[in-house]
Amino acid sequence: MLESLDGRRVLFVVGKGGVGKSTVATALAVSFAERGKGVLLAQMEPSRRLAELLGVTGEREGAVETLPGLHVLTVDGETALSEYLGLVLPVRRVQRMVVESKLYHHFVAAAPGLKELMTIGKIWYEEQLVVKGKPKWDVIVVDAPATGHVLQYLRMPSAAAEAFGPGLVRREAQKVTELLLDPVRTAVCPVTTAEEMPVNETTEMYQQLRERLHMPLGVLFVNRVHTAPLAPADVPAAPAGATALVTDVLRCAHEEAGWAAINRRYLDRLRETVPMPTVVLPFLFAEEFGLDEVRSLIASAEGA
Amino acid sequence: MLERLVRDHRVVVCVGSGGVGKTTTAATIALWGALEGRRAVVLTIDPARRLANSLGITALGDEPLQVDPAVLAGAGRPAQGTLAAMMLDQKNAWDRLVARHAPSDEVRERILKNRFYLNLSQNFAGSHEYMAIEQLCLLCESDEYDLIVLDTPPTKRALDFFEAPERIRDFLDRKVVRWFVMPYLSQGWAAAKTLNRTVGFLFRKLEEATGVSALAEVSDFFSAMSGMFDAFTARTDVIHEILRSPSTAFVLVTGPEEQVLTEAEFFSERMQGMEMPLGGVVFNRVHEEMNVDSAAFRGGTVARVDEDEVRAALLDGGVPAAHASWLAANFVDYQLLARGEALRMEQFRGGLPRKLPFVTVPNFDTDLHDPAGLVRMHAYLFGPDTETDAPSARRSGGRRR
Repeated sequence: MLESLDGRRVLFVVGKGGVGKSTVATALAVSFAERGKGVLLAQMEPSRRLAELLGVTGEREGAVETLPGLHVLTVDGETALSEYLGLVLPVRRVQRMVVESKLYHHFVAAAPGLKELMTIGKIWYEEQLVVKGKPKWDVIVVDAPATGHVLQYLRMPSAAAEAFGPGLVRREAQKVTELLLDPVRTAVCPVTTAEEMPVNETTEMYQQLRERLHMPLGVLFVNRVHTAPLAPADVPAAPAGATALVTDVLRCAHEEAGWAAINRRYLDRLRETVPMPTVVLPFLFAEEFGLDEVRSLIASAEGA
Repeated sequence: MLERLVRDHRVVVCVGSGGVGKTTTAATIALWGALEGRRAVVLTIDPARRLANSLGITALGDEPLQVDPAVLAGAGRPAQGTLAAMMLDQKNAWDRLVARHAPSDEVRERILKNRFYLNLSQNFAGSHEYMAIEQLCLLCESDEYDLIVLDTPPTKRALDFFEAPERIRDFLDRKVVRWFVMPYLSQGWAAAKTLNRTVGFLFRKLEEATGVSALAEVSDFFSAMSGMFDAFTARTDVIHEILRSPSTAFVLVTGPEEQVLTEAEFFSERMQGMEMPLGGVVFNRVHEEMNVDSAAFRGGTVARVDEDEVRAALLDGGVPAAHASWLAANFVDYQLLARGEALRMEQFRGGLPRKLPFVTVPNFDTDLHDPAGLVRMHAYLFGPDTETDAPSARRSGGRRR
């Protein structure tokens, strides 16, 4: 299933908070890197989690190589905008004066969607980079912000192309829009769990992506799915005089069977409401969730 | 247990990262208040449709709706008080705020149609958060409720929430506003560029880089809003007071997963720093570590290698052989997971004040979306005296049933 993502240059991994979006984005990035690709994992919000998982320490500017072939970059709208101004305001002193003024900060906060535009613009910029005649990155995996926010980001370039007067920003916005809508280079990959709230949100997002943003879709990841060979009702009752151990074992089985049933129900619903190629990722039982768990997650996805 | 915490406070704010069951916890606390005789209201941020439906409300709106007493009866015991629920509609809340403070209809219309305002009210970082707090303020000022439970936005940078009022106030800083407004009002936009050499220069550069229309809209917005800034500032002070009042308590809802606890740790440190210390912690969806007889296992606790023994014990105990292997493997899985969770929670607690109440809610085998389900959670939040479904005495050597 994941092969369908091969060849795409930019993957936006999106989803509700708490469904494991960063974990899935990391897993994808690690798997590409381990297959010998040059990968940029771009996070749109600094995440402690990602830092821990990949051992990124301290605040560093620019892309940091964390595993062979895998660079991590935190994309921040304001930084991106000052970088951009560096390109359009060639005189250093002028540039500093603009960026350091209080007015500038208000302008950035105030100008409709400018920060979002610059964030996406930065990703576009990375996509365009060429080193020794080859693209700098084979693939860029974007760990996008939580659902509500990400739609604003993705909507921004086309809105800006309309809203801003003719000028550099509009030209840039048009180029970025082309990238976002290009089914050859780009794919949006939603992540969800098979539970009530995340499924509702994913369904709404899917409609927005398709009908309003017209963005090319990749693969839907359903994360933390429980499986059990038994329905909750078929878990045997504790026999009379059962030991504490036996009772506990059956209780755990009941819990697992219960969640498996819930997950199955919502997977069925997702099949109807979000008809996309789907990868089901298992719930991983582990004392600690580290890089090994990330690898095993992606291994199970590749087997799917 | 959270019983005292909820009893002694009028406002309970549930905080924590997304996806940990904050909305459910908030509803559960409000329902408990209603059953105990309070006039409770829960303000949710998530579009919690199913929760609304289960409370007998077709759609939550930005006005509090009373939950039908007949639905409350579904909780299994008579309600002494009342329960209302409402959901934040961000755009609507901003519009009403403007309507409340605008000096005239003309100004109101001008603001409501302003493109920058439309953007601010929907997209400005902290705008959603600000509005939730504004709603809290309104509920506090009304005399209709004596328990107000707030479910905060599921933002990763959850602290935005409490900094939002200050941020909005800074944003509307008069000095900066003057730069935007004065030249525009006096001689029109073009004059701004010549009026003050520095400001004019900056404007020109920004315009060149971005396009003009945005700035004109911003300026228009600020000039329309200029009469309302005092109201905003006063509001910020009221909010500051409510959040730090002794009758307000913060409850951190978290899960036992690493990523969630990492966020929670950071969060609680910052809350402390902002003089809004946590009043309690709810660990939600925790896998229960069983008190296994340590003598029965080689390493003293259940490990992967013990699967066969568990399986043998099942067969000995008269459990049918079908699925015995799965049952045993699943048990070991759960115990490994539960142990990791217990360690992480222990560590997390180590960083918190010792007397802070904290409760553990198990990972129920169903999702909780109706009054009866919420009541199941009561036993864990408010102590074993509430209902039949009493929690096991975790880690105290007691065994469930």
